[in-house]
Amino acid sequence: MINFRGVSKIFYPERTIALANVTFDVAPGEFVSIVGKSGTGKTTLVKILTAETRATEGQVTVGGWDITRIRHREIPYLRRQIGVVFQDFKLLPKKTVLENVAFALQVIGARPSRIRRIVPEVLKIVGLEDKLDRFPIHLSGGEQQRVAIARALAHGPKILVADEPTGNLDAMTSQEIIALLLKINQIGTTVLLVSHDQSLVNHIRRRVIVLDDGKIVSDQAVGRYRLE
Amino acid sequence: MIIVTLYRIVRFAWQGFWRNFWLSVATVSIIVLASLTVNTLLALNVVADSAVKSLQQKIDISIYFDPGADEATVLEVQDYLAKLSQVASVRYISPAVALQELRLRHSDDAMILQALEDLGENPLGATLIVTAHQPEDYPEIAKILDRSPYKGLVTEENFSTHRATIDEIIAIASRVNRTGLAISLFFVVIAILIAFNTIRVTIYTHREEIAIMKLVGASNAIITAPFVVEGVLYALIASVITAVVTLIGINGIQPQLQNFFTGTPLNLAQYFTENFFTIFGLQLVGITLLNVVASTIAIRRYLKV
Repeated sequence: MINFRGVSKIFYPERTIALANVTFDVAPGEFVSIVGKSGTGKTTLVKILTAETRATEGQVTVGGWDITRIRHREIPYLRRQIGVVFQDFKLLPKKTVLENVAFALQVIGARPSRIRRIVPEVLKIVGLEDKLDRFPIHLSGGEQQRVAIARALAHGPKILVADEPTGNLDAMTSQEIIALLLKINQIGTTVLLVSHDQSLVNHIRRRVIVLDDGKIVSDQAVGRYRLE
Repeated sequence: MIIVTLYRIVRFAWQGFWRNFWLSVATVSIIVLASLTVNTLLALNVVADSAVKSLQQKIDISIYFDPGADEATVLEVQDYLAKLSQVASVRYISPAVALQELRLRHSDDAMILQALEDLGENPLGATLIVTAHQPEDYPEIAKILDRSPYKGLVTEENFSTHRATIDEIIAIASRVNRTGLAISLFFVVIAILIAFNTIRVTIYTHREEIAIMKLVGASNAIITAPFVVEGVLYALIASVITAVVTLIGINGIQPQLQNFFTGTPLNLAQYFTENFFTIFGLQLVGITLLNVVASTIAIRRYLKV
């Protein structure tokens, strides 16, 4: 589903090495946590996956599509295949819950009938079916993240990438979000969770890839993450 | 599907306008103020133009004929001159009327009146008063008359005497027009820059939303289009407000303006009403184009996500 082959990312002109020769594969339906301290290249990895930035070296494929040298006009099509959830939610502040989720479908040209069917469905999955007309500012952090997850799921992506989805949430809400991600994984979506939260990741008991200074230092099927 | 997409674009634009109400109000207000500056200058140009035209209309030249020239010949000259493309009108003053006017002009000068009595007969010939379309035409008319077969009948024409005044009026008119045009262009450029930057600032405030739209897979076209439509909406509203404020303002100052320019027919309100579609139509098209271009350019830098 996702293949990184010898991927490096160097930021010029400082020549900062964010990723160094990173190689790993993620199979369809897997739940993989990518962990590491701040500044170890986790977010750079997500940005390469969503074509926000390009790898300096190596090859990246998503669902068999080589996106290493993806063209600018092809980027929207890649992003429609990957649902992304961010730490700061990235909701459209002037759109309601319903409109935020519908937007992801509207931009791909989905028919109104499909939008009317799917949006309530995904909002039900995240437990927000009764807050359709609220604006993000009127929601709690956890609720906003649920909207972001619903939006990421709306176009039925095969992959869901969650970049520090609990970074702005309290422990209890974080557990709920992780439970939601596991539920989404159970329905067949590949989930890539990026986090630096040791207890959260260890609680999941799934595959863990540990990054340190841009390199993979550990990749365990049922991993644990220990802060050195 | 195209209709659905168009509907969505217009809906996003409409929502964007209302949900960012104060930003929209600020944007429209600045565009209105910039447009009003241009309209004020246009009104000033119309006033200056009317004043200059009225001054120009006061210029004429008199052609004095030999007292021996018979009326039929003078009327022939009148006809000849009236047919010239440069001539707006030719007025015939008979010797009798000329004498009457002279007596009237010097009614309190006993010596002149006595001299006229002593002469016994009318010493004045007929006069033709020629008004040209443009002050610049007078030298040409004088030249044509000088080359014509009627030259011998003319005892005097006052073009040469009035030449300095006419030249001065021509120079003033030209200066007023050129200065008016330069100032107007200057303010039009300023208004364009202000409107352009206002749109840029508006787009700048939406930069994070634009980035989010990109991250959820929206294409550049689907992101840009609602902002462009919103720009058109700003233009429509700003143009209507500008037209209403301009017309109310012009009608309000019209009486004071007429009092100020006594004797000069000056109807600004009529000018703006008669040229309503040209002035405000052009303004609408101009502002719309400006907003479309400004939105498209401004949004480009935020699409690189």
